[in-house]
Amino acid sequence: MAARRWVRTGAFAGIVTIFLALVGLIGGFTDVFLIGDEVTFAGLMLLLPAFVAGFVAAAPRIEGGERREMSLGEAAVAAAVAAASAGFVFALAVLFTDLIGDERIRPIFLNVSPSLMEFVAFGQSTVVGAVILVALSTMAGVLGGVLRAAPPVIRRPVTAAVVVTVLFGFLQRVIPIALDQLSLERDWLYHPIHDGLTWVGAAVVAAISAGISLLNTRFGARVRGSLSSSIGGRSGLAMSPVRLIASVAAVALLIAAPLLLGSVISEVLGTVMVFALLGIGLNIVVGYAGLLDLGYVFFFALGAYSLALLTGATLNVYGVPPDPAISGDLNFYIAIPIVMLIAAAAGLLVGAPVLRLRGDYLALVTLGLGEMVTVLVGSPWLVPLVGGPSGMRGITDAAIGGFAFRDPQRFYYLALAFVALAAFLSWRLATSRIGRAWTAMREDEQTADAMGISTTRFKLLAFAIGGAIGSLGGALFAVKIGSLTPASFQVIVSIQVLGLVILGGLGSIPGVLVGALVLVGLPGLLREFEEYRFLAYGAAVVAVMVLRPQGLVPNVRRSRELQEEERAQDEWAKAVEEGETPGELGPPAEVTT
Amino acid sequence: MTTERGAPILELRNVSTHYGLVAVLRDVDMDIYAGEMVCLLGGNASGKTTTLKTILGYVTPSEGDVVLDGNVVSGMSTAEVVRRGVSMVPENRRLFPDMTVEENLRLGAYLRRDRSAIEAARETVFETFPRVRERLKQKAGTLSGGEQQMVAMGRALMADPKVLLMDEPSMGLAPILVEQVFEIIKKIRELGKTVFIVEQNANMALSIADRGYVIQTGQVVLADTAQNLLQNPLMREAYLGEL
Ligand SMILES: Nc1ncnc2c1ncn2[C@@H]1O[C@H](COP(=O)(O)OP(=O)(O)O)[C@@H](O)[C@H]1O
Ligand SMILES: [Mg+2]
Repeated sequence: MAARRWVRTGAFAGIVTIFLALVGLIGGFTDVFLIGDEVTFAGLMLLLPAFVAGFVAAAPRIEGGERREMSLGEAAVAAAVAAASAGFVFALAVLFTDLIGDERIRPIFLNVSPSLMEFVAFGQSTVVGAVILVALSTMAGVLGGVLRAAPPVIRRPVTAAVVVTVLFGFLQRVIPIALDQLSLERDWLYHPIHDGLTWVGAAVVAAISAGISLLNTRFGARVRGSLSSSIGGRSGLAMSPVRLIASVAAVALLIAAPLLLGSVISEVLGTVMVFALLGIGLNIVVGYAGLLDLGYVFFFALGAYSLALLTGATLNVYGVPPDPAISGDLNFYIAIPIVMLIAAAAGLLVGAPVLRLRGDYLALVTLGLGEMVTVLVGSPWLVPLVGGPSGMRGITDAAIGGFAFRDPQRFYYLALAFVALAAFLSWRLATSRIGRAWTAMREDEQTADAMGISTTRFKLLAFAIGGAIGSLGGALFAVKIGSLTPASFQVIVSIQVLGLVILGGLGSIPGVLVGALVLVGLPGLLREFEEYRFLAYGAAVVAVMVLRPQGLVPNVRRSRELQEEERAQDEWAKAVEEGETPGELGPPAEVTT
Repeated sequence: MTTERGAPILELRNVSTHYGLVAVLRDVDMDIYAGEMVCLLGGNASGKTTTLKTILGYVTPSEGDVVLDGNVVSGMSTAEVVRRGVSMVPENRRLFPDMTVEENLRLGAYLRRDRSAIEAARETVFETFPRVRERLKQKAGTLSGGEQQMVAMGRALMADPKVLLMDEPSMGLAPILVEQVFEIIKKIRELGKTVFIVEQNANMALSIADRGYVIQTGQVVLADTAQNLLQNPLMREAYLGEL
């Protein structure tokens, strides 16, 4: 019974591996090194599904209403079965390809390249390669399974070490630049030829992150406890010291980033900030008010084009500004409040007809509204207003007394300032009466009504404020690019923003930043991955939904539950250390609500 | 039957309510006077919840008026009706399950600004239901059914309403808890609240109410004092089940 489930999990992972190979994420990356000259991105992609299969197979089961943890031995067996199946399925596919000849498959699946075939054969004959493949998959899976079944004192540091090390591997174009800038030695950390981490560097990174995680696990709860009781138990302040330090470091990094990382990376970070703004705005609509809006590009476009119109941009077709009756030549900082007001009004206008709609219907209608914008700005009929398909140029550079902000590093600071402002506003809203009303409305609209909360008003308010912040993102985007074409205002923008909000954790402002960094920043920093951007989006969002539905950096309400969870786990971990049997309890369930 | 006591605090005047083309309430007349406890009895799908929803403005009557304290409130938004002093303990309690008990209570007083009055209302709730105080930090969704009912009633009391509506407070509770819930309702009544309670458990409801209405397929078929309804042979047959 159980074995069949493990095999099924493994087979699925095997199919995922085949998929990754077919889309080119393995064959195309055999020379992207993460660590030394051994660990490549291709290798990671090849074995990651097996690892995950092992992790999943070893997960605790609910049996007869009881949650049952696996012992390490059981977990290893389950994971081995699952991962071996994964390896076996993939190896079969390789053997099959080899049998009929990879050159006959290539016309259909372009990515079945000779380098892929060579890579998955490990330089051996295909049959030997297949055996190695199954063996390596099994090992990866057992690691995953054992990790899953290990007590938190082990699981958390190891997970932290692995994740952070891989992340450092990915940041091979970013961190070395910063080290150079700081005149620090870099060759011990990053390999001078292969670009990835050196083994020494990887070991140091892993050790440090594991150490921090361990400290947090062992002492976090205690310090958190005394901190929060001394501050009067306000949940917002009840942070673990690691979190506190991490937040301070994050803020410092956000401020120092452009100076450390130079112009090219600042350019990407500027885009991250624009998307962070959009995320903060959409988070109000989706995360706070619980209204699923798939047409957020509407406000992005509205902000960009109305800023262009208000600040004297010219039409690309005629090279002149649009009709003066509908355009102006205002200063950026005067135009911005007007843009936001226009967007807020538009939010009310869009919000009003969709008020009665819920869930799927709301999503569909907003999707349609967003699509209309794309069509409108590109339509020949609006050429005299917004330039139609060829767009507008000559948008203000937001200069303050000759100090222009188009340069990537300067733009970043401009955007960061607006992000900080929007984040502050959003945080104040969330903790106000309005925020309480949104929470109530999101959890149960009808009951919120019965509390005297005018849900109609609060929905409109969410659309208006969310729209205004979104338009700010659009306006900054226009400043950054300096010109506008309809191509920048496609439905994919709505999806990207929603993706980063969900990834970071609905309702969480730091989550929005992290989401933007991961979904917009990482692909931008790793140019090789550009074409896999949306694949990565999808995968990241699905993975988060399954593994960590509360998001990467959950909001306070949800993280409060999580903290209780952690405290329980900490107690459990302590009991184990002190040699007590923790009884039937075991580590409590992962929070999945 | 009614003794002289001025104008009713809540009145339904010839109210008919439709869902689409289907008439769910037909020509309903009811009066509730200050300080009274009135129950509305009826079988499944007879229109009891719809009556409450009509009062609270979730649905607008197609004919007739809902009058609160002399003012017509039908046609107003739910928030406005709540602001004018009607609170409801919804069917199935409907707490905000992911919020703590404390947050649920706070939302009950959402429209009130006067902190000391809110504090006083909280104290009243705690005195009436000491259990609620012990559970303040607990998530509402993790409470037992009986505790949830107390929080739902506490939440409604936090608004210090003129009229308190209750929709089948005994629904889905074990018999022993049903007794408890009716004890609680008695306590609320001792606070001097005007209560309009919808029930299927006619025996229990009539044992604590002053008067009762009985509706069948959206029409009031009986209206009398609780005492008389308990004696009424028709009632005994149809609703009291000769327990
Ligand atoms: N939102 C609605 N739309 C259409 N019909 C409804 C709706 N709500 C209730 N009804 C119908 O109205 C009738 C009365 O319902 P309700 O007032 O909930 O009954 P009760 O509370 O007495 O069980 C039922 O036949 C029910 O199906
Ligand atoms: Mg009902």
